[in-house]
Amino acid sequence: MAVTDEPALRADDLHYAYGDRVAVDGVSLSVSRGEILGLLGPNGAGKSTTIKMLIGLLPPAAGRIEVLGMPMPQQRMQIQARIGVVFEEKNLYPNLSGRENLAFFARLFGLADVDLDALLERVGLGTRGRDRVSGYSKGMRQRLTVARALVNRPDVLFLDEPTDGLDPVSARSIRALIRAEAERGVAVLLTTHDMYEADALSDRVAFINEGRILALDAPERLKLTHGQRSVRVRRQVGDTVEETVVALDGEELRALIGRDGLLTIHTEEATLEDVFVDFAGRGLE
Amino acid sequence: MNPNRIWQVLRKDLQLGPRSPIVLWALVVPVVMTVLVRGVFGDLFGAEPALGLVDEGRSQLTAEAQALPGVAVHLHDDAERLRAEVTDGAYDAGLVLPAGFDDAVRSGELPPLELWLAGDSVPADRAVLTASVIDLVRGLADAQAPVSVDVVELGEATLPLDLRLLPLLVLYAVAIPGGFVPAASLVEEKERGTLHALLASPASMGEVLVAKAALGILLGLLAGTVTLALNDAFGAQPLAVMLALTLGAVMMAEIGLLLGAWAQDTNTLFAAWKAGGIILFLPAVVFIWPGLPSWPAYALPSYYFLQPAFAVSVEGATLADVAVTLGLGAAICLALLPVVAAAGRWLTVHLAAGRAEPASAPQPAEV
Repeated sequence: MAVTDEPALRADDLHYAYGDRVAVDGVSLSVSRGEILGLLGPNGAGKSTTIKMLIGLLPPAAGRIEVLGMPMPQQRMQIQARIGVVFEEKNLYPNLSGRENLAFFARLFGLADVDLDALLERVGLGTRGRDRVSGYSKGMRQRLTVARALVNRPDVLFLDEPTDGLDPVSARSIRALIRAEAERGVAVLLTTHDMYEADALSDRVAFINEGRILALDAPERLKLTHGQRSVRVRRQVGDTVEETVVALDGEELRALIGRDGLLTIHTEEATLEDVFVDFAGRGLE
Repeated sequence: MNPNRIWQVLRKDLQLGPRSPIVLWALVVPVVMTVLVRGVFGDLFGAEPALGLVDEGRSQLTAEAQALPGVAVHLHDDAERLRAEVTDGAYDAGLVLPAGFDDAVRSGELPPLELWLAGDSVPADRAVLTASVIDLVRGLADAQAPVSVDVVELGEATLPLDLRLLPLLVLYAVAIPGGFVPAASLVEEKERGTLHALLASPASMGEVLVAKAALGILLGLLAGTVTLALNDAFGAQPLAVMLALTLGAVMMAEIGLLLGAWAQDTNTLFAAWKAGGIILFLPAVVFIWPGLPSWPAYALPSYYFLQPAFAVSVEGATLADVAVTLGLGAAICLALLPVVAAAGRWLTVHLAAGRAEPASAPQPAEV
């Protein structure tokens, strides 16, 4: 399913403060059905606080939230019946099996006919579903929290660092699963400080720092507009190979190409981190 | 409030119960304590009331007394020796049937008859023995005939230690599973972050708290009932005792929820329970040492279910006798309800805010 113009999630001018410290300062964003929006920012930027307001755990001090056409927190329970959340922490019941964890949440949603085995299979836990979660690895727990978020076939997914702690193969399978959900028409809000993940998954990314959205656009456009494209030039100088990185559209490049001993020229695209540094004057870590 | 969601959270907690060391500890320890106390200080599983009997004239009552259900009759030859043994507490009661007693009763006389009661005998046993003796004497003539039985108390009027320890056992049985278990369960949900997951589902904090309270009440009632059964302490009005027990389980569950909402982690909960437990358990001390002034216990909520339970099960009181105390206990439970609701609201805001920031972060602003 293609990204639609119909917003499944809309937040306008959200504010929240912990005492004197402002955590979220006028955040506005929207996510359409079928769209994946990456919320990218360093630790303490306000990502988690924003998500907590959007899923109804924290009432915003100011601002307006609408999920699936319903206002939050006024229709919190109706909204929560149709959303799925993956928290940053692996918040599972360790003394229940993976299947029992899923069954409990399915019953909380009032769903009796969920195919839990298929869901476990989807996240690669098909053979371990009846084992207690206390015996799961960090990656298995993370995959189970993703399965739990899907137990009610949500219309909006909130994913807080969904591949944190996963090995590359598991992370790839979870990303494929997130993409499949988006193709089903699910609106996905993904918070991460992993720029690669945001770049690989998101239709649009929002940079957040000190509680404010600094930029919000498609990753490619952000990189083209704000990142400085560069060229890596390698030359043979005497017995050594000299490597120089210069701007793509600068005089320096023309000068380098004109010299002797040219070995290779590689163009290098700006990363989302470069863009973020351009905006915030700091890195993502 | 959705009853199905409350039941699902309770069901999950019951499912986790047998896998939780805290729940097992809370249920096993009261039983172990009862067995120890009854084994060391009293008769395990409660002995029948003992009646020492001297028959000086082959009375028909002797055979009938021996056939009484639930009464252990011991025959003696010497009235003076029997009196001394009742005084020492060897029997709960002693009875001497003089020669010609049966004929005197049948002829309509009211021959003098003394029933000696041991000072340390249990009120409930005294009631059983006194009523049984009167019924036996009446059986000699007709059921409506007047009967004269003088009751004489011998020895020091005091309860045996195992009975004075009963309130402590009952309080422990109700407070740990009824109060500490829901508190620990709530704190665990906070520590593991599963409370976040619950609150991000359609379940509300109110539903979670009601489920935790139900867990405490069920476990408190179970442990309290088993403790009373092991002590043979339901008295003449088991329903009244169960009413007091239920009140206690509700009260402890409410206190447990307050503690669980407040405590940030299991260590804090244990520390608070140890400190607060001394206060909570104070009323039991008044029953162990009846000579102590009892007024400090009146200020503590646990007194208002312990006293009625003790009075009915041990002292032979009726529901009417303890109605006022039970009413005060019920009033305390009702008064705690809005406090628990406020704690739930406080927890909802502080939980989300606390998780968002380091522990040293300031509290959230007005929202």
